[in-house]
Amino acid sequence: MDNAVYVGISRQMVLRREMDIIANNIANLDTTGFKVESLMQKTDPAEPARTLGGPRPVKFVAADTVARDFGQGALNKTDAQLDMAIEGEGFFQIQTANGPRFTRDGRFTTDPTGRLVTQNGLPVLDEGGGEITIDPEKGQVAVGADGSMSQGNERVGKIGLYAFANQSALEKAGDNTFRNASNLQPQPAAKAKLRQGYLETANVKPVLEITRMVEVSRAYESTAKLIDAEAELSRRSVERLGRVQ
Amino acid sequence: MQALRTAATGMAAQQLNVEVISHNIANMNTVGFKRERAEFQDLLYQTFQAAGTQSSDQGTIVPTGVQVGAGVKASAVYRVGTQGSLTKTDNQYDIAINGRGYLQVLLPSGENAYTRAGNLSVNDQGQLVTQDGYQIQPAITIPSDAVSVSISKAGQVEVSQAGQTAPSVVGVLELATFVNDGGLEALGDNLLKETAASGAPTTGTPGSVGIGTLQQGYTEASNVDAVSEITALIVAQRAYEMNSKVISTADNMLATANQVKA
Repeated sequence: MDNAVYVGISRQMVLRREMDIIANNIANLDTTGFKVESLMQKTDPAEPARTLGGPRPVKFVAADTVARDFGQGALNKTDAQLDMAIEGEGFFQIQTANGPRFTRDGRFTTDPTGRLVTQNGLPVLDEGGGEITIDPEKGQVAVGADGSMSQGNERVGKIGLYAFANQSALEKAGDNTFRNASNLQPQPAAKAKLRQGYLETANVKPVLEITRMVEVSRAYESTAKLIDAEAELSRRSVERLGRVQ
Repeated sequence: MQALRTAATGMAAQQLNVEVISHNIANMNTVGFKRERAEFQDLLYQTFQAAGTQSSDQGTIVPTGVQVGAGVKASAVYRVGTQGSLTKTDNQYDIAINGRGYLQVLLPSGENAYTRAGNLSVNDQGQLVTQDGYQIQPAITIPSDAVSVSISKAGQVEVSQAGQTAPSVVGVLELATFVNDGGLEALGDNLLKETAASGAPTTGTPGSVGIGTLQQGYTEASNVDAVSEITALIVAQRAYEMNSKVISTADNMLATANQVKA
């Protein structure tokens, strides 16, 4: 009898989660290398709506997956020599205490020993998985589109760019990094180009997020209406049935 | 509701952003000032359904999971150390550094600080000092009968004295360089301090390998670009508004939930 209420609540729970994701997208509007996410929904259980002969099963709404849009963010010129943006499919690999992480955030700097590190002080790896060391005495660092770094005429290393056959295998780990949650091995990125002196902005589209937020908020309200109507229905039936007796 | 707190982190981040931008704009005409940039990172993610978990006995796995992020945090305020343009002042005690390096300043506490602001003066004892009267290291004393002072690109300070034909050398200015300039800590008063992140300073004469040269009669203007700061300010303001919109929407949703007639 109360199925409509439970279906409504399942929908509202998913809408709340969707709202949380939109809030995270908007909060990260200005986060370098951030990739926008959206919640995919599914019906639960996932059988067809009509089964011949049998009664129609009740369908609930459930959060299915978070879809991540790995599309290119706009490139923002900063002119800082260790700011780097990736154009096309690919990631930087960084070394953490918990294993390698992948990022599109190219705000690099050097640590006191001259290693190329991220904002959190984690070393950026080259194509062979080793660290890159820069000697600031040797002058300006020039980075080619393939990631090769040189100071003057001397080659100092090559920033590794990695790609995955299936990018959805990557899981967000916070601090603008992704963790490889699958057994896929990262491959050298063939289609990626490195741009020195640029940063990749978040690929959040504000208009889209606000529109989705309005949609979520209205859907939430109408589901609340549905729950109200269902409650009203049971109230009335109790009243009427009471009168018949 | 998580969305409320997430949007609050977004508003706090944009507030910091506006503070950094306003600091840059306020210091647009500060000699040797380097613009700063607020850096953001996404916060932790809560995993409701992990990618890669088994979805059946046949070994099928969930291709992507459900992860919800908790918002944004400021990771750093990064100093962008690009060269500022040189402004001609014709003042003999103004020196601009063209390239890498910092002038070394002896603080009253006995510690060393570093600066790019080369608008120097002499004190009552003829010592070369900053605008706050802190001595430049290595100490250089200009004789009281000096008619003119000339500072070469390599930092050699020569004075012409009354009654003498040849100028005499009174000292050589040295510059300090750091492996990681971004790691220096700002002390205010155009001064920076060495930290564990910056590494120890290496000193040398201007013009030697990896060190910039000096330019007498010039000061280094700040590297703040007004247009890009104003653009960044507009972006920050709109982002702030959008986050506040999220808060009011989440609030409305909670109000809707409260109004359901039981």
